[in-house]
Amino acid sequence: MEYGTIKISSNQPGKIAPPTLDPRLHLAAIVASSDDPIISKDLNGTIMSWNEAATRVFGYGVDEIVGQSILRLIPPELHHEEAMILSKLRAGERIDHFETVRVKKSGEKFPVSVTISPVKDAGGRVIGASKIAHDLSDRRKNAESRFQLAAIVDSADDAIISKDLNGIVKSWNEAAYRIFGYTSEEMVGQPILRLIPPDLHYEEDEILRKLRAGERIDHYETIRRKKNGENIEVSVTISPIRDETGRVIGASKIARDISDRKRIERLLIQAEKLAATGRMAAAIAHEINNPLESLMNLIFLARQTSANDGKTNTYLLTAEQELERVSHIARQTLGFYRDTNSPTEVYLHELLENVLTVYNSKLITAGISVDMRFNDLHKVVVSRGEMIQVLSNIIANAIDAMREGGTLSISTRNVISSAGDGIQTVIQDHGTGIKQEYMTRIFEPFFTTKGDLGTGIGLWVTKQLVEGRGGQISVASSTEKGNSGTTITIFIPFSVPAQLIEVGQE
Amino acid sequence: MLQVKIGSMYVADEFLQKRVESGWKAAEQDKTQRGRPKVLVVDDEKLIVDTISEILEGAGFHVMGAYDGWTAVEAAGRFRPDYLLSDVLMPRMNGVELAIAIRKMYPETTVLLFSGQAGISEILRNGQQQGFEFELIPKPIHPLKLIARLKEQP
Repeated sequence: MEYGTIKISSNQPGKIAPPTLDPRLHLAAIVASSDDPIISKDLNGTIMSWNEAATRVFGYGVDEIVGQSILRLIPPELHHEEAMILSKLRAGERIDHFETVRVKKSGEKFPVSVTISPVKDAGGRVIGASKIAHDLSDRRKNAESRFQLAAIVDSADDAIISKDLNGIVKSWNEAAYRIFGYTSEEMVGQPILRLIPPDLHYEEDEILRKLRAGERIDHYETIRRKKNGENIEVSVTISPIRDETGRVIGASKIARDISDRKRIERLLIQAEKLAATGRMAAAIAHEINNPLESLMNLIFLARQTSANDGKTNTYLLTAEQELERVSHIARQTLGFYRDTNSPTEVYLHELLENVLTVYNSKLITAGISVDMRFNDLHKVVVSRGEMIQVLSNIIANAIDAMREGGTLSISTRNVISSAGDGIQTVIQDHGTGIKQEYMTRIFEPFFTTKGDLGTGIGLWVTKQLVEGRGGQISVASSTEKGNSGTTITIFIPFSVPAQLIEVGQE
Repeated sequence: MLQVKIGSMYVADEFLQKRVESGWKAAEQDKTQRGRPKVLVVDDEKLIVDTISEILEGAGFHVMGAYDGWTAVEAAGRFRPDYLLSDVLMPRMNGVELAIAIRKMYPETTVLLFSGQAGISEILRNGQQQGFEFELIPKPIHPLKLIARLKEQP
């Protein structure tokens, strides 16, 4: 009521009238202070009154517009609306929240919702109309920003999910479908626990407890379960959703698939481990290989001086064989060192022949025949020692896989490709093959399918060496009975990576 | 000839006499060992030098052992080895430095390095940069293989 008082007093300075005295003044104040344009017109459509909000919204001053036709506010293409409005008014009808378009003085069109009521004289005869026009531009903008937000949510790479405080999913975006495999139809209305592996269900209680307390959970790394039962590593950020009064009514959850990052992290850790192992190996090698050398010599001497047919000689012979075993494993595990010679020009088939010579007796013992098709007409610049290591690792694996003999096919040829020209070497065995689930892991350090006999270093080193030379290595394998085997393809480009040339010139 | 020289010596310079005597002994030994290939074995691990020496002697080589690089260079001056078999990682003078010194003194000497250590690439690279590359055998090596290796050398 006080509001009205002030308004009135400002209209009529010096005279303070109690608000209850004249209801008309009261109404005038309301009209004047309304945020929405309030306009009255007669039944011919001539504007009779015009409030401040009308001036603000339409841009016309009172003097400009009162006495003019209401059609000035209606875009020409909508002039027919006015006839319809007038006919309804004459019939004493009211028009509620009619959404249409009106035009400003500037010519700008804007959306409005109009409510039009007939104005009657004391005798109840309709003499005109009052019109309240609500500018909808803002509402449109709000709607637009809502659509925009929805579009952002749907195009996000991260799963964005909302849920209520009982853990029931309320919304589910596209990425959530991509990451978890459930569609929005499958998840909305369902408990979020479906995404949590049973042994981690306790996490949800903790999350809900924090949310109810209004707390937020940032970049929490955990495991979630996909529709197909597979587990994935995710980083989740959960924030409470509040209503207008500030009460927490639910939560939004953003989940990022971090499986790839975790994988890389694990590889880095393994690479670190390998480097540390390498350093340790070098240190231990000296302390093991030197005493081994002495022991081997001592046993050899003892055997020479003992009676040839005596028991002692037999013992010493066995000791020597055992020592040979120790030496072998020491060389294998402690002996990986890099070739430091500068790269030289060689024919790859010559290196392959060298390696095959070394494995000749093994190949014969295992009953493996080698089918060689060498057609590399050009030399490549490689570090001999490294390339021999690459080829012998692969050939040794092939021999290990072909326990029952068979054919080992090795071919080399020149290839011209968009990635550059070079030599392609294909080594194909008909061994047991590599299981599908291991295929992505065979180049990882310390991964082996040979149990205790493998070090898990061979293919990893091989890949490092090939890629270090600017080449590529790929593998195809099948474990299908009767058709099993593995094919390793190595491409060595003729061009040498810049950093290798620099090293060579140093 | 040497005997004549000693006989005609009138100064009782004990030191000189000893040197000449040892030179004579070396020459005498040289005569009896003629035809046997000479191997200079160098390692800072005494046991390795001693056992390899005994094994190679038994296999028909004439062996001299040294426990460090300097002693080996000195010994090579008298011994004129056909082969140098040396460890790589040794204090004061490493195997590559020794091998380079020997190669400069006696280009005909065949050099074989042996090592039980993986981390010696730096030492080998230093040799390469001076233009010297030597064959490297990993330790441990079975005595019979070592003998075969030496016998197959030209």
